[in-house]
Amino acid sequence: MKLRMVLAIALGLVFAGGALAEDKGLDNHAKRDPYYEKLKGKKVLFVPLAMGFDLTEGWAAIMRRQAKDLGYTFEIRDPNWSTDAGTRAITDAIAQKPDLLIVHNPDLQSYAKLEQRAVQAGIKVLQVNLETVNPTDTYIGADWVKVGLIEAQALVDHCGKESGKSGKVAILEGQPTAASNLYELYAYNHVFADHPEIQVVADQAATYDPAKARAITETVLQQHPDLCGIVGNWDNQDVGAGAAVQAAGKSGQVFIVTSGGGSKTGCDNISKGLLSEIVSYDVPLQGDALNQAIVELLLSPAKAGTVQTTYFTPLTLQTKDTISPRQCWTLDDLK
Amino acid sequence: MLTQLRYRYFPDHLIGEILTKRWIDNAIPFLVLLVAIVVFGILLPGFLTINGLSDLGRQFAEFGLIVLGLTIVMISGGIDLSVASVYTLAVLLSLICVNVEGWPVGLSFLAVMALGVVCGSINGYLIGYLRLRAFLTTLVTLIIFRSIYDIVFLRTSTAIISSLSDSDLWTFIGEGTVLGIPFTLVVTALIAIAWHIVLSRTRPGWRLTAVGGARRSAYNAGIKVRRTVCAAYIWSSVLSALAGFLFAARIGSTGADTGVGLEVSALTAAVLGGNSLGGGRGSVAKAVMGALLVLIVTDSLTSFGVSGPINSTVLGCVLIAAVFVDMRFLRNRDRWLSKVYVSPAYLSLPPPPSALDPTSPYALNDKLRSVEVIGLGQIEGPEDVILDHEDNLYCGTRHGDIVRFFGPDHSRHEIFAHIGGHPLGMAFDRKGDLLVCIGGMGLYAVSPDKTVTKLTDETNRSWLSVVDDSRLRLADDVDVTPDGRVYFSEATVRYEQEDGRPTLSRAGATAASFATILGQAPPEQSSTKSCSRMASACRETGNRSSSLKVGRAPSSAIISRVQKRVGSRRSSITCLATPTTSTALRMGAIGRRFWACEPPRSTSRSPCRTFADAWPSA
Repeated sequence: MKLRMVLAIALGLVFAGGALAEDKGLDNHAKRDPYYEKLKGKKVLFVPLAMGFDLTEGWAAIMRRQAKDLGYTFEIRDPNWSTDAGTRAITDAIAQKPDLLIVHNPDLQSYAKLEQRAVQAGIKVLQVNLETVNPTDTYIGADWVKVGLIEAQALVDHCGKESGKSGKVAILEGQPTAASNLYELYAYNHVFADHPEIQVVADQAATYDPAKARAITETVLQQHPDLCGIVGNWDNQDVGAGAAVQAAGKSGQVFIVTSGGGSKTGCDNISKGLLSEIVSYDVPLQGDALNQAIVELLLSPAKAGTVQTTYFTPLTLQTKDTISPRQCWTLDDLK
Repeated sequence: MLTQLRYRYFPDHLIGEILTKRWIDNAIPFLVLLVAIVVFGILLPGFLTINGLSDLGRQFAEFGLIVLGLTIVMISGGIDLSVASVYTLAVLLSLICVNVEGWPVGLSFLAVMALGVVCGSINGYLIGYLRLRAFLTTLVTLIIFRSIYDIVFLRTSTAIISSLSDSDLWTFIGEGTVLGIPFTLVVTALIAIAWHIVLSRTRPGWRLTAVGGARRSAYNAGIKVRRTVCAAYIWSSVLSALAGFLFAARIGSTGADTGVGLEVSALTAAVLGGNSLGGGRGSVAKAVMGALLVLIVTDSLTSFGVSGPINSTVLGCVLIAAVFVDMRFLRNRDRWLSKVYVSPAYLSLPPPPSALDPTSPYALNDKLRSVEVIGLGQIEGPEDVILDHEDNLYCGTRHGDIVRFFGPDHSRHEIFAHIGGHPLGMAFDRKGDLLVCIGGMGLYAVSPDKTVTKLTDETNRSWLSVVDDSRLRLADDVDVTPDGRVYFSEATVRYEQEDGRPTLSRAGATAASFATILGQAPPEQSSTKSCSRMASACRETGNRSSSLKVGRAPSSAIISRVQKRVGSRRSSITCLATPTTSTALRMGAIGRRFWACEPPRSTSRSPCRTFADAWPSA
């Protein structure tokens, strides 16, 4: 009897052990299935300013990678720097009814009405880095006022009262009606108002064109050989200004502060001495934030336009002293 | 047999006639447009929906106006590259007026139109009056206007964005619809229709085309060339400014890229539609088709996710192809046309009668030995002759006169009437008026007191004819039936008087089907076609039967009888083949018979000849 009992217990233990071995770990069906299944086959459209430069290529690479991974489609409609072509791309996109429309706005106004129309048509709209006056579901990108404040302060630090320099600065605008431009412009004026020693001797638009930036800077340098600093809208544009300064042999004298996506090209420009400081809005980080927002928007049951969120991506400062290979990304890193 | 069927049923003359139409230029772009619509309609799901078409309509409204403006300048023989800059300036001015200054929309509109007039006047004055090169001048104004834009835009960008208009009218212009059609599209459509009428139906439009086609000739014709050219540039700028106004209302903003490269797209559209870069050839329809084509192609490529630079490259290639086709077409159109247009008909001739058989009426004889020659060396190109009741002889001359030789000996003559064209066929009606067919002019009557009246220069248009065959081009021969009906022949419905002859004789070598015998009822004085046989000469043989007409195919040695009975089918019998061609037949006036031969042009100084019994019994 005793032996039987022992056998029974032993057998029970063996079975129980077998069962235990089989049930080790949890499949997490409840979360995984709806996550992957709901994402599969969704359609995401991206309307950038243009492809072919660091910011849009960087974001696209990161977003494409996740889309491939999770099985939703990710398509790009490239208006190639034409706002008018962009409006057509968005109107077409509305007709195609994607689940999510990601828009990189050329200015604060042009796409605003169209984005409202997209939202009314039930398409969620994510604005990236350059926004319009009308908020949509999500904005992910730099806080341009903050970027402007940092840039202006850097200029004040370098050309202000204690510096012993002329205090003459030039502003290189980008595209005059773009969000980055108008918000930064506000910040510059706000900061400079408290520092009367800073004298804005030139304020012109280079419209993202390095050749134009170079031409403007050459003229400014001729008129004001004692120019102390330049604050610009975008590193890819202001590298032209740097070239003009270098050509005039004033590399040490003129401090050039600008903002950018933090790519290796920007870092190289700093190490070459073309640019002094870049306020980086960190494209890889923005890309990750975009991916997170894409999934959230695609999965969220909320109707388009009902929940509006903003995420200002963190800013980092890049100067000759701070740049390291870890900070400077290349497109290949992101693919 | 097969040959006959091929010539009878293969409609090559139809193709030829279609090729002569002015709208044939539009056929190729129209076909391409159709193909583009079908292909992209299938490939792009949202393309042919109401929404998609409405968006296309709004874009077309603006772009179409610019292309139309450019087309007007191109028709006048110039080019306007500054359209894009004027458009951009207009966008900016609209936004400043409406958003920043808060002006009423109407006042803003007037300001923008004034801007268009000013910009256009600068171009027009430099090119029209100072006669500078259009390409360089508008290239310079393109840069200047653009610079003005850049300067002003920088100063006003914050104000434009921060103050928005709440005008309902402004919103309506940008987004409103009329009966479901975008308002801006309605505006553009109305303007396009108006311009179509101006260009194709009114004097200013024709003058514009004339100036573009041949500036010197236009000047010689008394057209104010400078003013016309200047006006073309003003209109171009005004239309571009209007496009800018509509764009500003739609988008409500502007940027550094606004209007950049638009001149290339507009030029592509204009050339693609078939408007000639050389001037003098172009229409609103071409502008509209070109604009639609360019919009559809670029929009669709963007929708397919084709990257921007490739999109531009495609557009550039399309422009080059269009320019190439335009040049080839212009250079070769006439050649192709003359090849297809001759369109020979088949006519099997009976064996020619032998002139060697001594019993043949064509055998050599000396019956004409005693012939008397009338008016030798005095008149040129008599073509047809007729005698009146007093035995006076009438004939025409190449110089546009009708000459009367006084009977009975016909040695004295006078100019009976000056007509102005070459009199070809003649007949007396019952009142005693002389009816004359005049090449290039029509059917005229000369009363015994020598007053000349036009009876008709047109007839009804055939239902199935592609070309307009209602105008008389070469009224050739005329006769009057005993019941007073006038029949006259029209030698060609396809060739103009000036180019008809060489082509006629070439085509006529095998036979030709150009002629129509027309019947005219005297009381209404309107003519209708009664018979379209091959006949350039016609003769009612009133002395035999009222139902018999004799016609002759031009340049062929066939004389045929066309029998016409009321209520029954017409039939024609080839009743005679002669060894030579002839231009006029005359039968049985007061017992004598005449046959006037038209000699070859090189020996054209031939008098009117009288033949006795030259008409063999048929």
